[in-house]
Amino acid sequence: MTAAARIGARVFLGIVYVFVIGPAVVIIVDSFNAATSFPSPFEGATLRWYVGLLRHDEFVASMRMSAIVATLAAAIATLLGLSAGYALIRHPPRGADAVATFMMGPLFVPQIVIGLAMLQLLGLFRVQLTLAGLVAVHTVYVMPFTLRLVMTALARFDFGLEEAAHSLGAGRLATLRHVTLPLIRTGLVAGFVFAFILSFVNLPLSIFLTNPQTATLPIVMFAYMESRIDPLVAAVSSVVVIAAVAVTFTLEGVFKLRLLG
Amino acid sequence: MSPAMAARSPASGVPWTTYLALAPAVVVLVLLLVVPLTATVYLSLSPNVLVQFEGPGLDNFAYLFGKPYYVDVLVRTLRISFVTALIVLVVGYPAAYVLKDLSERTGGALIIALTFPILTGPLIIVLGWMILLSDGGPLIRPLVRLGLGGPWRLLGTEAAIVVGLVHFTLPFVVLTIYSSLKQIPNDLVEAARSLGAGAAQVFRRVVWPLSLPGVLSASIIAFSLAASAYVSPHYLGGATRLTLTTLVAQFILATYNGEMAAAAAVVLLAIMAAIIFLFTRAVSRYVR
Repeated sequence: MTAAARIGARVFLGIVYVFVIGPAVVIIVDSFNAATSFPSPFEGATLRWYVGLLRHDEFVASMRMSAIVATLAAAIATLLGLSAGYALIRHPPRGADAVATFMMGPLFVPQIVIGLAMLQLLGLFRVQLTLAGLVAVHTVYVMPFTLRLVMTALARFDFGLEEAAHSLGAGRLATLRHVTLPLIRTGLVAGFVFAFILSFVNLPLSIFLTNPQTATLPIVMFAYMESRIDPLVAAVSSVVVIAAVAVTFTLEGVFKLRLLG
Repeated sequence: MSPAMAARSPASGVPWTTYLALAPAVVVLVLLLVVPLTATVYLSLSPNVLVQFEGPGLDNFAYLFGKPYYVDVLVRTLRISFVTALIVLVVGYPAAYVLKDLSERTGGALIIALTFPILTGPLIIVLGWMILLSDGGPLIRPLVRLGLGGPWRLLGTEAAIVVGLVHFTLPFVVLTIYSSLKQIPNDLVEAARSLGAGAAQVFRRVVWPLSLPGVLSASIIAFSLAASAYVSPHYLGGATRLTLTTLVAQFILATYNGEMAAAAAVVLLAIMAAIIFLFTRAVSRYVR
């Protein structure tokens, strides 16, 4: 590549990244904006929106609810993904490919349709909207991610180690606990964390399935943004952006783990 | 799955515990996705307050396809998704190509940065776009002040939806193409070069054909993400620029017509299935 072409390539990449990161930067900057009307030019820095956020009971409660739903969905999906992933890799049955493809199915159904379908199933059986329905759709949606990460980890796992443990007298469960699980730990952690984050920030899955008691953070943001947009929602969003960035760097730093790519 | 994986153990010697371990996930997926979708398909064939008939029948679909308003929604969904996929590929391919040649350190950091928008989710990011694209926002206001024309409206247009969707799908597309470019053995490029091929020829005859499967699967991802997106059309397009997803939501949240919402959802699923089928066939032709 000539020098000019190389510079051109870097400039192009820079523009792409300004585009990719730009909106998040705008949100963070505006969350410190002292102006009350929105959008408006920056009128001085303030932390009052963050203080306001802590005092806003609905946002605080919804963050708790999102954390509960995301923890349950990610935990269930990780267990299911571990079990299924182990089965598919250790002794692939006939049609393992087809099963693996089927398991990726939720990725190709629009999330709003997953939520609609659950709403309509509950409706047909006249079941009230509960936390269970919400956790159910979130679990279905995140399971492909936990399964895929477990399968990637297991594909690199040397099953000879299991046989070695067996021959040394370890039982099935002891082998799983002391040999297999520790060695695929990164895949499990990545799957859980990724599933948790995807569930935590998801709006369309929950939109038909929440009631005031089970409103998650994105649902409360959605309701809030219907009536007004102010630096308070920017503050809420900034918290999520910063948390996501922190989680990504922690995983990269501590576990040498990349969630994607 | 890789062929090596399938070759590891012949299907004949599969222990029963394999099926036991596989069962929970399969049962969960059937009970919590397949069965609910069946309920939706059933409702899409059922009479309702808007369309009355002796069910089950296809009258809801006939109604949707008979009204120009709803046909517009369908065409808009397709147009937005195709335009998004096209833009994202045109921008994403060169971006992935440049990223591929960066050092391990810089490239790695930039790939991580690419995942932030995925992790924060579309709702939070769309707020940034609402600020940026609003009438008094940092993009339009300076232009109007300088007397360059306007006032323009960006929010509430299809262009705004496409901007939001390009932003939302770009990371997925770059990551997909990036990993397919990384898989091209450098030896092939070197060999072509040593045989006298110039940079353009190496790209056209070696790199591009080998990256084509990645490009096609990136297209599938971009199209299906765009067609199934809800947040960008809702906030950046608004009530006058409905797409199939926002139409589904409107049927439920505004008019509470579950049957029509189901019909719109089935149309969306059918479109996505058709597109994914066509693209997958194209992919398999190249992957062989």
